[in-house]
Amino acid sequence: MSKGNIFAVVLIVAAFFVGRHWFADTPTVMTDSRSGAGYSGGAESTGSARSGLVRAIHTAPRTGTVHEVREGELIMDKVKVAEPGDTILVYPGSYSETVYIDKDNIRLSGVIEKGQRAVLDGKGHLNDAVLYSGNDIVVENLLITKYKGNAIMGQAGNNFEIRNNIIVDTGVYGIFPQLGKNGIVTHNVISGIEDAAIYVGMSDNIHVAHNQVFESVAGIEIENSRHAIVENNYVTNNTGGILAFITPGLPVKTTYDVIIRNNFIVGNNHPNFGAPGSTVAGIPPGTGILIMAADEVVVEGNIISDNKTAGIIITDHNNAPNTTIDPESDPAPDKVAILDNLMHNNGYDTIDEAKALMLTEFKTGNPDIVRVGVSRDSCIINRHQYVTVGVDNWAECGFTHTGDIMTYLLDKPVEPREIDPSEVGKVAYLGICAGCHTYTGRMIGPPVQVIQALYMDNAQGLADYIANPVKKRDDYPEMPPQDYLDATTRLAVAEYMLSVSK
Amino acid sequence: MPKTVMQLVLIGFAFLSLSVLADPAKVYTTCAACHGDKGQGNPQLQGPVLAGLSGEYLTRQLQAFQQGKRGQHPQDVPGQQMAAMAKSLLSEETDLAALSAYIEQMPLPQQSTRLSGDLKSGNAYYQNNCGACHGGQGQGNPAFQAPRLAGQDSDYLRRQFMYFKRGIRGTDKSDKPGRQMAMMANTLPDDKLNDVLAFIGSL
Ligand code: HEC
Ligand code: HEC
Ligand code: HEC
Repeated sequence: MSKGNIFAVVLIVAAFFVGRHWFADTPTVMTDSRSGAGYSGGAESTGSARSGLVRAIHTAPRTGTVHEVREGELIMDKVKVAEPGDTILVYPGSYSETVYIDKDNIRLSGVIEKGQRAVLDGKGHLNDAVLYSGNDIVVENLLITKYKGNAIMGQAGNNFEIRNNIIVDTGVYGIFPQLGKNGIVTHNVISGIEDAAIYVGMSDNIHVAHNQVFESVAGIEIENSRHAIVENNYVTNNTGGILAFITPGLPVKTTYDVIIRNNFIVGNNHPNFGAPGSTVAGIPPGTGILIMAADEVVVEGNIISDNKTAGIIITDHNNAPNTTIDPESDPAPDKVAILDNLMHNNGYDTIDEAKALMLTEFKTGNPDIVRVGVSRDSCIINRHQYVTVGVDNWAECGFTHTGDIMTYLLDKPVEPREIDPSEVGKVAYLGICAGCHTYTGRMIGPPVQVIQALYMDNAQGLADYIANPVKKRDDYPEMPPQDYLDATTRLAVAEYMLSVSK
Repeated sequence: MPKTVMQLVLIGFAFLSLSVLADPAKVYTTCAACHGDKGQGNPQLQGPVLAGLSGEYLTRQLQAFQQGKRGQHPQDVPGQQMAAMAKSLLSEETDLAALSAYIEQMPLPQQSTRLSGDLKSGNAYYQNNCGACHGGQGQGNPAFQAPRLAGQDSDYLRRQFMYFKRGIRGTDKSDKPGRQMAMMANTLPDDKLNDVLAFIGSL
């Protein structure tokens, strides 16, 4: 070791002791969270009168026709004849098709007999398994595997229930409600997804509970959404466990009022296999919870252990990997509240950025909580329990639990969205395309501003492409064909895509 | 001399000159001063790297120089030089496709410039604003007629980028790829260009 190096080390060590001496004298604040004030939820939420288990939205007995589908038949044939209020029962067997439900109030239900399920098998070449654009849709009891795009994608449908499905090794998103209000995602088992196993996009009043998600790049992602509860999930061996994000460049610019509670977030150390350059490809393996730019995120009662980079990372857009700035989104995660959580053995093989931050605070040990960039009005209780960096100056929270909030689901289903014919293109854009395309950034597909440069005013060319996409980029997945939309809608969405400016 | 012999000689002469013009290796010797003998570029003369560019892109640029779609703006002095070269060194008879194919197979140049900048931010802005056309590794993508950027001289890239942004290149109505690139040049915040160029230089 050269003299200069020795000197530097001596300085660091000295600074370390000085730092401890100066800062360690503040008495430990211990907060008893078994009582005390409760979190009152987001300002705009309606507060639900529900009590007991949150299991369903549609509880009234069903009176519509029951259509039965057996192996050898097409589910889609029954969807075509079904009327709102009907149930489609799919018996065990193998089905290889894309089911597209564009009417309201349909229940698509697998029949499970002696453990045998209806299997939707994409065989590695089909893109999406179940797509719905209707309201009041239930999708349950299916086994979905080997699709390239999405297993279950909601496109602007409200009051959805997606439950009891097993999803293995299907493309980019497992369960993906986009632009929906009042919906449930519970008791699903999902693995092997290249982006998010459960991705709630641009939605409101959502309940994600009792799911098992593993071996995916992102476990559960709440993105550009509000009033969401993520609870009682088992989230293990993903690259990142639970994410609350604002993704820049989407038409909805905020994420707030998200409660992440009572989940097991354990050993999320899976190598990152997201498409290189995409947002999720920047998640460091070993991230338990990642809060990026989202506001009013409450983290309570989780068991967060064995995540090698950190238990919780809180970052603004400026410090997040693969992320650019959206002038219309506040890049800072504000009013984050970290209540009691069991954190253990996190951060044992962390990233250099976290180590460097720790050095600036003269901290040692393996970080449970890492905050980078700006975060305003955030709070924490019982901070002495964790190894933290970046939260020393956070306030004590004014509440200790979220027990007063059972759910953000609404007391009554919301009205179906009325779609004016002039808005067909816009709704399709928000409900479908914005799931994979942001205006400025690379999500699953290329940014819309790039598409605008490529197509300029050639809406027909764009409409033709989405009906029958060809692969153009080695480092992107394939774009799923949108041929389930009629030609008028395709042209309308193409025109809309070329006209948006943010 | 009988007329037929005369004709034969004339045809022979024409054939000779055509074959000289068609021999890309010979034509290329006239380019080497400014672009290097292996297409590695010559920063002193502001001649960009040509090795690694696709035949399609090279041909299109040479035609653009010849037809006055590139290198005719008064503020684009290097471009004017190249336009003059494209008109004097290359004639109607030059087989541009063969010349471009000849350049295309030149081995990729060794990394030359290393610009300093914030590579993390450069990567983010590159992947989000540029990679969808130029490829995640700056390798170019023929599907969009977007050229390779990796390995190119940073000063040259900066100059061209600013040309697109300031309406010096990519303005001609018939130059669709150029107009596409010009639209994208306006999406990058000014203070990120250096980071993006540093990132490209690191590829
Ligand atoms: C499941 C994700 C996904 C959804 C949903 C999606 N896309 Fe894409 N899109 C992609 C991907 C991935 C690519 C890149 C494909 C490639 O380069 O091979 C792409 C590429 C494109 C392109 C570029 C074509 C080109 O010439 O480069 C257009 C245009 C496009 N999508 C339009 C749309 C429209 C319109 C919608 C909504 C109706 C939509 N996409 C929905 C993933 C998606
Ligand atoms: C006197 C020097 C000179 C000579 C000789 C010359 N060039 Fe150039 N060339 C340039 C300069 C300078 C540029 C950059 C123009 C600009 O900055 O806009 C250029 C640009 C180009 C480009 C565009 C590259 C790109 O990435 O877009 C091509 C292609 C090219 N030259 C081919 C040739 C060929 C082929 C020859 C021989 C027939 C040749 N040049 C001879 C100076 C020269
Ligand atoms: C919509 C597709 C597209 C996107 C996105 C794009 N480019 Fe381009 N770019 C092109 C095309 C096409 C050309 C070739 C233009 C021509 O033929 O004159 C080009 C040319 C260039 C050139 C000139 C290269 C040369 O050899 O002369 C530079 C520099 C460049 N792009 C940089 C960028 C940067 C930096 C970004 C991101 C901010 C970007 N491009 C984004 C399509 C694109």
